[in-house]
Amino acid sequence: MGMQWTPAVLQRRRHGRVQCLLCPFRCALEDGETGLCGVRRRTGDRLETATFASSVRHWDTVERKPLYHYRPGTPCLTLAAPGCTFACDYCINHRMSQYGREDSVRWDAEPVDAEEVAGEAAARSGCVAISYTEPSLAIELTAALAESGRPLGVDVVWKSNGFLTAEAVDLAARHVAAVNVDVKTLDERDHRDLTGARPGPVLDALTGLRERGVWVEVSTPLIPGLTAGPGTLRPIARALAALDPAIPWHLVRATPAHRRTGHAPTPVADLAAGVRIGREEGLRHVYVERALGAVGRATRCPRCRTTVVARDIWALGENALEDGRCPRCGTAVEGRW
Amino acid sequence: MAEYRMVEHIPDLIQPEEYERHPEGRLVRISISVDGGGVQVLGDAFRPEVLERLLETLGPDAIEQMLCG
Ligand code: SF4
Repeated sequence: MGMQWTPAVLQRRRHGRVQCLLCPFRCALEDGETGLCGVRRRTGDRLETATFASSVRHWDTVERKPLYHYRPGTPCLTLAAPGCTFACDYCINHRMSQYGREDSVRWDAEPVDAEEVAGEAAARSGCVAISYTEPSLAIELTAALAESGRPLGVDVVWKSNGFLTAEAVDLAARHVAAVNVDVKTLDERDHRDLTGARPGPVLDALTGLRERGVWVEVSTPLIPGLTAGPGTLRPIARALAALDPAIPWHLVRATPAHRRTGHAPTPVADLAAGVRIGREEGLRHVYVERALGAVGRATRCPRCRTTVVARDIWALGENALEDGRCPRCGTAVEGRW
Repeated sequence: MAEYRMVEHIPDLIQPEEYERHPEGRLVRISISVDGGGVQVLGDAFRPEVLERLLETLGPDAIEQMLCG
């Protein structure tokens, strides 16, 4: 089925244009114009979105987002509307995420029935995830899924680039239970090179989401020659620790993909060094999914270092927490358990 | 050109313990099986672009891929 345009939220009139308030690009659109993301447009006086739709309907686990401190082991019915506010040159998902930015990417999404999706997630005591592409572009779909899911106990979670305006953060916080935000680098030039956008709004958004009660975890891709070294990782770790040392930080191995193919995969030593940097800066929970084995994925009590949640690859191993506390020393471990 | 289909799961052919033995990431592993439905080529690689080029050369109708996140 082709694209269907439905009414969008977060807009205002400005100097004869309709301005989209969803992401910090704040596109001011003439009638008939489409925004930089390629999935929001102006028709007459209204803003429309193509993102009440999904290319996939995949079951996976919350550990894959990755969210490690949010209901471990929860199955996630995952949707993805094509489109992204970033144009990352290393994106593994570019065949879906770069819709509207690269002509070769075709629209293959189908409209979503929010009630039906929430019902399917409820039947497996799961949640609904919006992931693989940029979920904030599907804020209207997110709201509909959250409203359908609420009476059934079904949460909505995101894996997001965090490129949201304050207005979008306000709205998202009402509907999203947990989000993993990518913080790729805090260096202005590197961030622009990688994504086409500034890094500042990303930190602001993750701060705003946390303040409004959304459970936030952070991922950083370690791209050799660009973001894999201490010059990138230490400032990120420091910024996160200043916000809250309990924010889980996921260090992600990068493999050459899309247009960034001139490097080797992230060396294991760089991932291990990143873990040390995170700890030195005071972060309590720093994770590496595969390269450091089960130790890299385990949650330890911040006080007595007992393993309180053991994980397999993309799956829960054992959750030993008792009411969110270490079974040995009783220390509370931050998360939504 | 082959159509790419995004699927829920594809088994791994490379294990994390092997990462350090291939620092340049040149390892590609292929498994070929034949059944009544035809030939299935399963691949895993440290460099996805290399695997994609290889599979495209075989001229399949579709290439299945997993998504990240
Ligand atoms: S979401 Fe799209 S239309 Fe809205 S401001 Fe961002 S790029 Fe522009």
